[in-house]
Amino acid sequence: MKDIITIIVRLTVSCLLAATVMGLCFVFTSNAKKHNEHVKEQKVMFELLGYKGDVKAPESVKMHELYRYVISGNDRQSIGYLLPQGEGEHGGYLFVNIDLNGSMIENKKVDITEAEALEAESRDKAVQATVGSGYSVAFADQTIVVTDNGARIAYLLDGKFQGFKTFVSVMLAVDPSFAMVGLEILEHEEDPGLGAEIEQDYFKNQFKGKPFEAMKAIDVVKAPIPADYLNALNGKVSEEDVLAFREQYKSKDIYALTGATISTRAVCNGVKGIVTKFAYRINVLDKVLQEQQLAVSF
Amino acid sequence: MANDKSSMQLISRGILSENPIFKLALSMCPAVGISTTVMNGLMLGIAVLFVQVFSSVTISIFKNLIHPRIRIPTYTLTIATWVTVIDLVLAAYMPEAYAKMGIFVKLIVAFAIITMRLEMFACKESVNDSFWDGLGMGLGFMIGMMVIGFVRELLGSGMIFGYDVLGFKPLLFFILPSAGFFVVGLMMAFFNWIEIFYKRTKGLK
Repeated sequence: MKDIITIIVRLTVSCLLAATVMGLCFVFTSNAKKHNEHVKEQKVMFELLGYKGDVKAPESVKMHELYRYVISGNDRQSIGYLLPQGEGEHGGYLFVNIDLNGSMIENKKVDITEAEALEAESRDKAVQATVGSGYSVAFADQTIVVTDNGARIAYLLDGKFQGFKTFVSVMLAVDPSFAMVGLEILEHEEDPGLGAEIEQDYFKNQFKGKPFEAMKAIDVVKAPIPADYLNALNGKVSEEDVLAFREQYKSKDIYALTGATISTRAVCNGVKGIVTKFAYRINVLDKVLQEQQLAVSF
Repeated sequence: MANDKSSMQLISRGILSENPIFKLALSMCPAVGISTTVMNGLMLGIAVLFVQVFSSVTISIFKNLIHPRIRIPTYTLTIATWVTVIDLVLAAYMPEAYAKMGIFVKLIVAFAIITMRLEMFACKESVNDSFWDGLGMGLGFMIGMMVIGFVRELLGSGMIFGYDVLGFKPLLFFILPSAGFFVVGLMMAFFNWIEIFYKRTKGLK
């Protein structure tokens, strides 16, 4: 009996000690970690838009975040969008609720600041308060509309899909006609040396410049990449040649990675799904906004 | 149990005569899974080195307070704590390195080599000796991983440290996890052969 008690006491004490050490460490590092993630995200976004290295984004380029929510109740299911209405801190947000046929149910002003909208918890609360009780809200995804002097130049889409092992999370940029501008793999756990090659430039660059028509039917070919095309994908030739190759291959399928056809196919289908679904959604949203004469910031 | 070995002997023992990979054959699964390149081997090696040293020292300090019946849970707890701390600190202050090492660091909790060193050495010996022993074992593991990574990267993808040295990929097979075991096996045979050869020549003299 005495043994049991000493064991319990000592294990409890060591667990508490370990928890204290880990907790303290977390408290001291969490802010720096959050900051790093934010910086990394911003960097990825600008790189996707082509503002790399010395090329800085001009002041007129602005980013507007749209948050999509799935709203479900007993009688109906609908999609809600939280849209920014103006620039900066005092812009305010508009909540537009659209049913599954694409017609608007309601729109309401939501009184939250930009900082609150960035925080998932406070944003969810505000959306829940807007739709009222009786409906449950679930955050679906967020999209960034990039404008230059008020005209849309690109969309940045977040997405996640099943890879070979676990989820692959990506961010892609498409232009207003939904042609691919760029693809970035944010997180994945594919096999090193095989599926992990999806994060290599020569693979990601294959998607660049593919028009929406090609993306709708994109597939994988199991063949080695032609040597001259591979050089172009790796950026080893001049800028004009890269563009020429992009033009030549723009309606071709994606070349599968050696020994990683499943990963290649997963990325292809995932990207295809994200782009086609987004194209449908933004068209519905734009139509509603136009019909209802709603003013938003993008 | 007193330990009469010097710090240098403790380190060299970890690297040579009791090398965790080639002699003790511990932590094979994660090692084989990750050692596809020299860089991966080095990264995992560094992470293991830190966790091994910190855990050895911690257990050695608290060795008289640990109840013998529950020593294994306590070791696991200690290792998990240090892994978490290193994971958090790396993520916060060295984001560049963390991007490369992130997945490796979390794997270390399940490394048999660390638990084994705590059980065999740190819970009996002084803090000072435990530190050197941990350092030696960590270095031994790191060197082992790098050697395997070197062979696999060169034969599997024709590169060293990410630089293309061969210009072609000789055998894709070496990138696959199963080839890791082949490389470890061949390396073991090679090390044993050298040792036997060395002893024989010495014996003849």
